[in-house]
Amino acid sequence: MTGQSLDARAAGRQFRAPFRAYRSMARMALRSLVAYPVSFVFNLLASAFGALAMLYLWRAVLRNGGSAIGFDWAHMKAYLLITFITGSLVSGYTDYQMAFRIRQGDVATDLVRPVDYQRARFAETCGFAVYEAGTAIAVAACAAIAFGGVPVPPLRAWGLFLLSALLVLPLRFGVVYASGLVTFWTQNYVGVQAARIALVTFLSGAFVPLGLLPEWLRLTADVLPFAGMASTPALVYVGHLTGRAAFTAVAAQAAWSVALWVLARAFWQRASRQLTVHGG
Amino acid sequence: MMRSVSLIEATNLTKVFRRADKGPGLRGSLRHLVERRFVEHVAVDHIQLSIDAGEAVAYVGPNGAGKSTTVKMLTGILVPTEGDIYVAGRVPHRERIENARNIGVVFGQRTQLWWDLPVRDSLELLRDMHGMTQSRFDKSLERLDAVLGLSDLLSVMARKLSLGQRMRADLAAALIHEPSIVYLDEPTIGLDISVKDRVRAFARHLVAEGTTVLLTTHDLDDIEDICRRIIIIDDGRLAYDGDLESVKNTYARDCSMHFQLAAGAPVASVSARLPEATVTLGDNERELIVTFDRFALSTGSVLNAVLPDGEVLDVSISEPAIEDVVRKVYAGELRLGHSNGEAAT
Repeated sequence: MTGQSLDARAAGRQFRAPFRAYRSMARMALRSLVAYPVSFVFNLLASAFGALAMLYLWRAVLRNGGSAIGFDWAHMKAYLLITFITGSLVSGYTDYQMAFRIRQGDVATDLVRPVDYQRARFAETCGFAVYEAGTAIAVAACAAIAFGGVPVPPLRAWGLFLLSALLVLPLRFGVVYASGLVTFWTQNYVGVQAARIALVTFLSGAFVPLGLLPEWLRLTADVLPFAGMASTPALVYVGHLTGRAAFTAVAAQAAWSVALWVLARAFWQRASRQLTVHGG
Repeated sequence: MMRSVSLIEATNLTKVFRRADKGPGLRGSLRHLVERRFVEHVAVDHIQLSIDAGEAVAYVGPNGAGKSTTVKMLTGILVPTEGDIYVAGRVPHRERIENARNIGVVFGQRTQLWWDLPVRDSLELLRDMHGMTQSRFDKSLERLDAVLGLSDLLSVMARKLSLGQRMRADLAAALIHEPSIVYLDEPTIGLDISVKDRVRAFARHLVAEGTTVLLTTHDLDDIEDICRRIIIIDDGRLAYDGDLESVKNTYARDCSMHFQLAAGAPVASVSARLPEATVTLGDNERELIVTFDRFALSTGSVLNAVLPDGEVLDVSISEPAIEDVVRKVYAGELRLGHSNGEAAT
């Protein structure tokens, strides 16, 4: 009995200590972005121009009160700005850094720290996300004002919308982290990252609403975790997903978050066995 | 599973890497895309290690001998292809996080500081990772500061540090949590003499405090300064494991005396008087070199053998160094016997 309770106490201590560790890692990640504001602003500009192009395009299409797949101009604006914000989250710092460190062998120093590799990367991702979300919301707010405002959903929809928006983080992390691990095999990440960004942007509905895609593609995006990475919170915001459908969609986001976490962990088990660090 | 014989215990430790076997140039790379060929490279080949608490062990071998690979398996970074490792009763790669709490690792060629942060922030992040209380952290930092002189580095961004400063900060980062086992992998690489001295003094300090130290290095001065036991590996295999002093007594017996004489060196007559020694001419005809087994002859008797033949202007003696033994092993001139704890004779 005594041994057991000692074990339990030790486990409790181990649980508390890491939480502080991960919180500190998140804070450090945030600070490291603040250290290079210029490069961040350029990245943001690049994606902001993409969003601007979509806004101009849809303004032309929906001129004179037209609508497409249930969107009028006002709601399309809102949809595009929400997907702009969710698309800015987990934009590439996490996997870029992972790939660089795996390739250079610096991952060795990550592995002599008493923290879980995946949780540590997630903590950093959260730190980055605070900065990414902050700046993207600021840019989106400016754009909203410049384009004549966007409709705001009723107060009762906000809870589900915020939850759905928050779930974008673990979903995108799952994909970004797993693709970063591919570096253990390929040793090169440029192609993998480009493919990952193209796939996620397209299938998450960040480019065009998924309703515009052929049925089979839309279904694929819906069944796989992609819709939850941008489309779901945006559709909840504009009121296209309500009631039971909205709850189901958000529950799917949550389920996929857990599933991706577990899958990524299994993937790590295999990837880490590929590790070869020569010299030094 | 708890199983503690020695603090660090490895049996039949083996790591095989698979390397792409590509032909030269673009043609080779393209060919590799369709016909993938790999060669297996045995980096570490059935090594046995047994290190007790408080020991300071030098782990030595030429480039590519498998030193770093061994350290990476002992620290839980790499998974062995074959064999078992127990460090303080734990299997490092299976209980990586628990193992990491116990150990401090310095990779001389890599930094573990956060590049964009001041050194103090890196140390504080490590404090949180290791779950240290503020008072324990302060005490540990104070202790490290006394030996490493950190106070002027703490507010500097890691990327702005010079190599020597970076190494001091890295040592602090590796040891802030007061680990009982420390792996120093090439800790003096690229450092100037004064920083090297500082690093060595620090390592001696660790050993004196009872920390178990495994040191891999190319710089053989590091070894004689810090360690009493030496393990030599070559081509992934254990070439020698034993006491540093005995290996010197066994394999580094040759001492040489250099004489500067006023006139031409009398090689033949000195040689006749010292049949056990090798007598040769030095850089010029007035320089005489006598190489002898320091256990068979004394420097006094060599001196006496040279004095009758001419006026000696200057004498210097080269003591044997562990470097000579290791150089011979590297060059393949010497195959040391396997022995545990004592030198083969």
